[in-house]
Amino acid sequence: MKKRILTRFTVIMFVIGLMTAIQYNTINEPDIRDTRDVWEIRQELAREKQLHSQLLSEIESLDDTLNKYKATADASPEQALRETAGELRSAAGLTETAGPGIEVFVEPSMEAVAMGLEIEGISPDLLIRLVNEINRYNGLYVSIDGKRIINTTAIRDINGQTTVNTKPVDTPPFSIKIISESMEDSEKLYNHLLASRILDDFYIDNLTLTVSEPKDDLIIEAYDGTIDTNYLQASEGE
Amino acid sequence: MWLSILGLILGISLGLLTDIQIPPEYANYLSIAVLASLDTLFGGIRAHLQQVYDDKVFVSGFFFNIALAAGLAFLGVHLGVDLYLAAIFAFGVRLFQNIAVIRRIILAKWAEKKEVRETI
Repeated sequence: MKKRILTRFTVIMFVIGLMTAIQYNTINEPDIRDTRDVWEIRQELAREKQLHSQLLSEIESLDDTLNKYKATADASPEQALRETAGELRSAAGLTETAGPGIEVFVEPSMEAVAMGLEIEGISPDLLIRLVNEINRYNGLYVSIDGKRIINTTAIRDINGQTTVNTKPVDTPPFSIKIISESMEDSEKLYNHLLASRILDDFYIDNLTLTVSEPKDDLIIEAYDGTIDTNYLQASEGE
Repeated sequence: MWLSILGLILGISLGLLTDIQIPPEYANYLSIAVLASLDTLFGGIRAHLQQVYDDKVFVSGFFFNIALAAGLAFLGVHLGVDLYLAAIFAFGVRLFQNIAVIRRIILAKWAEKKEVRETI
């Protein structure tokens, strides 16, 4: 009798153990499965490599600056500092910049003129889209209607007017100047803009985008406001 | 007693090693089934300790409870009422009661043994 009870208990325990283990297996299934195919992984790798090379070039330029400091430290440290300050100012957009680039003209579309439609200002959304497109394709320095785009530039609607750096943008026509790193990059940007879908987006708003051929020597105005640095803090480092 | 623990270990290791999985929709049913079987198990142990153990009651209770709990959960899913909560509540309460009774019986036995030893 006792043996039979024991057998029953053993069988029941076995079933319980089995069920518990299966439940455990089911619950502990990995939540997110990696479903990327080879192509997606390759793309991710390409992105990371790009970032890698970007970081390397940054390191190189910083090393250059460091070497320059070291070389001129004895002779004239002031000169080196001045140079760096100049470089930083130009990177921040505080100086007039010249270089290879293209000019983009925003004009009312022929149909709108022919139909006698009222020409409305460009919408901030469209302008932001255009700037994003430019940034995506090697645009380095940009000015819209003479207003230089810097890191803190806001493109937004103020009292019904589209503004850049809080200054209103003219109703079309106006021009956008874009400087790139090299002539080659300018050509790439030119081709990209010509083929871009953003032209259709402009057309919906009764505007056309005319892109000029890349020019060797384009000049972009300096940022004329003051840059707010209220929230900047000195970094703690060497 | 050791044989039953061996059975438990055997079951767990078999389940883990074979890596059987059920669809996640059914995980609910299985968890209730596990609860039901635990309830039956402790009920059986208690009955055994109280000398009222019956083989048929134990085995039929095991399967019937599991089926009832899973069926209740199934019905609840289709009616939109969380009926499985009823099963969890019932089994949970009974589980605690059974364990409490088992503990008392074991304590009583232990005290008895101690008394016997002291009298000797």
